[in-house]
Amino acid sequence: MAERVFITGIGMISAIGNNVQENLRHLREQKSGLGYTRHIDTIHRDVLPVGEVAATTAELAAMAGIKELPGYTRTTLLGLVAIQEALRSAGIKDAKELPTAFINASTVGGMCDTEKVYFDILDPNKEGDFLNYIDTLDCADCTQRIADETGIDEYVTTISTACSSSANALMYGARLIQQGLVQRAVCGGTEALTRFTMNGFNSLKNIDKQFCRPFDQQRNGLNLGEGAAYVVLESESLVKERNAQILAELSGWCNTNEAFHPTAPSPEGDGAYEAMKKALKMSGRSTADVQYVNVHGTATLNNDVSEGIALERLFGSNVPKFSSTKPFTGHTLAAAGAIEAIFGVLAIREQLVFPNLHFSEKMEELHITPETQLLENYPVKNVISNSFGFGGNNASLVISKYEG
Amino acid sequence: MKGKYYIQSAAAISPQESFSGPFVPQLLTLADKNLLRIKEPDYSGFIPPNNLRRMSRVLKMGLVAALQCLRNSEVSMPGAIITGTGKGSLQDTERFLKNITEYAETALNPTPFIQSTYNSVNGLIAVQQKCTQYNSTFVHRGFSFEHALLDSMMQIAEGNADVVLTGAFEEISDEHFYIKSRIGYWKKALTQPAELLTSRTPGTIAGEGSAFFMLGSKPGNHPLACIEGIKMVYKPTQEKLHAALETFLAQHEITPSDIDLLITGQNGDVNHDHYYHNLIVQYFPATTSLPFKTLCGEYDTASAFALWLATQVIKEQGLKKILIYNNFYGDQHTFLLLSNS
Repeated sequence: MAERVFITGIGMISAIGNNVQENLRHLREQKSGLGYTRHIDTIHRDVLPVGEVAATTAELAAMAGIKELPGYTRTTLLGLVAIQEALRSAGIKDAKELPTAFINASTVGGMCDTEKVYFDILDPNKEGDFLNYIDTLDCADCTQRIADETGIDEYVTTISTACSSSANALMYGARLIQQGLVQRAVCGGTEALTRFTMNGFNSLKNIDKQFCRPFDQQRNGLNLGEGAAYVVLESESLVKERNAQILAELSGWCNTNEAFHPTAPSPEGDGAYEAMKKALKMSGRSTADVQYVNVHGTATLNNDVSEGIALERLFGSNVPKFSSTKPFTGHTLAAAGAIEAIFGVLAIREQLVFPNLHFSEKMEELHITPETQLLENYPVKNVISNSFGFGGNNASLVISKYEG
Repeated sequence: MKGKYYIQSAAAISPQESFSGPFVPQLLTLADKNLLRIKEPDYSGFIPPNNLRRMSRVLKMGLVAALQCLRNSEVSMPGAIITGTGKGSLQDTERFLKNITEYAETALNPTPFIQSTYNSVNGLIAVQQKCTQYNSTFVHRGFSFEHALLDSMMQIAEGNADVVLTGAFEEISDEHFYIKSRIGYWKKALTQPAELLTSRTPGTIAGEGSAFFMLGSKPGNHPLACIEGIKMVYKPTQEKLHAALETFLAQHEITPSDIDLLITGQNGDVNHDHYYHNLIVQYFPATTSLPFKTLCGEYDTASAFALWLATQVIKEQGLKKILIYNNFYGDQHTFLLLSNS
């Protein structure tokens, strides 16, 4: 039997808060973080809503304790703020104390900063601080800077599977623990808004000019967001040895590929169905044991149909409470899986179901509707968290209450 | 990770004649730039013309190396597809960045954006093979292909897959070559591969390539080689690197003298050459060594070419054990141990 893997620390930053507590407060107050960008230089700034972290890059650097800014991208700084909280929350003062894995996720690395200086970099007549950003073009830069700041060095890597990236990072870390390669892995993702990504999704006609309306008949696309989130995963034996607090158990996971289309899910939700079904099977839980599904729920026309049908196929007429929290945070791409995994942990710890904001009309293709109210004192023991992405990359996680 | 992970088939697109016909390593001659480009195979036997036109360079070389690896194997449906790439599709990323400026963020063609996504090659392979199993892409410089391998080995060890299609792909564009030249990645003077290791100057020569492997829990009909173990070391001191090597060899109950061939990532860069030099002096003074970057140049996933090279020489030269040691600009170091069965 492979060892059980527990979540012992959480840290995050998103459009609804600079830490877990602020995120939770705004979820409770049903206060969306969607608005308009103040940091991105784009013609879409007053047209396409985003879930942007309020702090400027310089303010993020101050929060993360970074003094020399050149070379530290917004992606890195968001990640540093989140990982520092995650380590504190797990009671880890020095991450170097144990061989630890850092499994990060990113979709465009330091693009947020490199896109501003890219044409300067190409101009042989220009010199300056911007040359410090050349190495931040890739996805590994943010990971290594975060690893180096925290001292984690046993395994350091980055996963990029589009919108499911950080869900896969959690899975990979958990598997490294189960294989006995490490006892502790810090896993998650970081994503900063970029002009590149905004234009990318806009060119796909996937962005709603209104605030996104997941699972609503009138939905018309997603809103992008930014943020970072990390969880500390530890083996059962390490948790016992150091008497660590257990926030939840990562009891099941599954990664499947739809093999259907580069950017669209299958109409019957085959990939979503398989991912949820197999993750649940691995967790040893049945469909009746699931009280809440934090859906991928991007509010694109395609995703919500296929994910909704997958829910109906898996749960039949007993679909548990489900909601998309993307109307709070926006779609944070590589960070989404980890942000929403933490929302899953909070749902269990606080016994809450979060509302799906901006919903008013049932989708004609579905029999089900998302939860629109904040449910307090709701007996949440098992949560499924879904992350589905381009390239057909689907991932589902099962997060369970620890009951010994 | 210990165990036996059989390489049942392999395929590589590289600056060498590696894709078709008998492979004879060549020290190529560079004309004007410190850059080795792949020899482009005829892609039309693999991809329909309509699709071929739309696909950018690295997508073609990634997909076709994967398909050739499948053709070389007896496997039609791998149990997982796991890849590594440091930079993904540079051509598409560059194109979309330019389109944004050129067309002032309006009426943009989404294709370069879609293809710039790092997992797009994986998605293509999955669609082509109708493979709905585990699928992941690692994007971490000199630990991209290495983690794809480790993940593949774990998939097999976990019993989730009997065979895994794993590989790596990387391209170098003129634009990216220039960008990296601004921070000293390449040698300033034109340096031929034949002179690379004796040049005693900073930087190296750029390269590119794509290599795929069918990794299985069983040998299959014609196993090329067997992966015995992998050890990654991040930003080590020389002492820590040596300690990691000693532990790694001890875990596999061998000593340096059991290694018949040392394949190294030596690239003539005086900034990082000491790692190779000191390691060889201390542990492998009499071992035959084969520096592979004179053949393929330097890139994030050059180690995938090294593994392919190992599969070509291990049986042919009657070797029992090969150790590959590579580092990428001194940050990501990896030992990979192979045996002939």
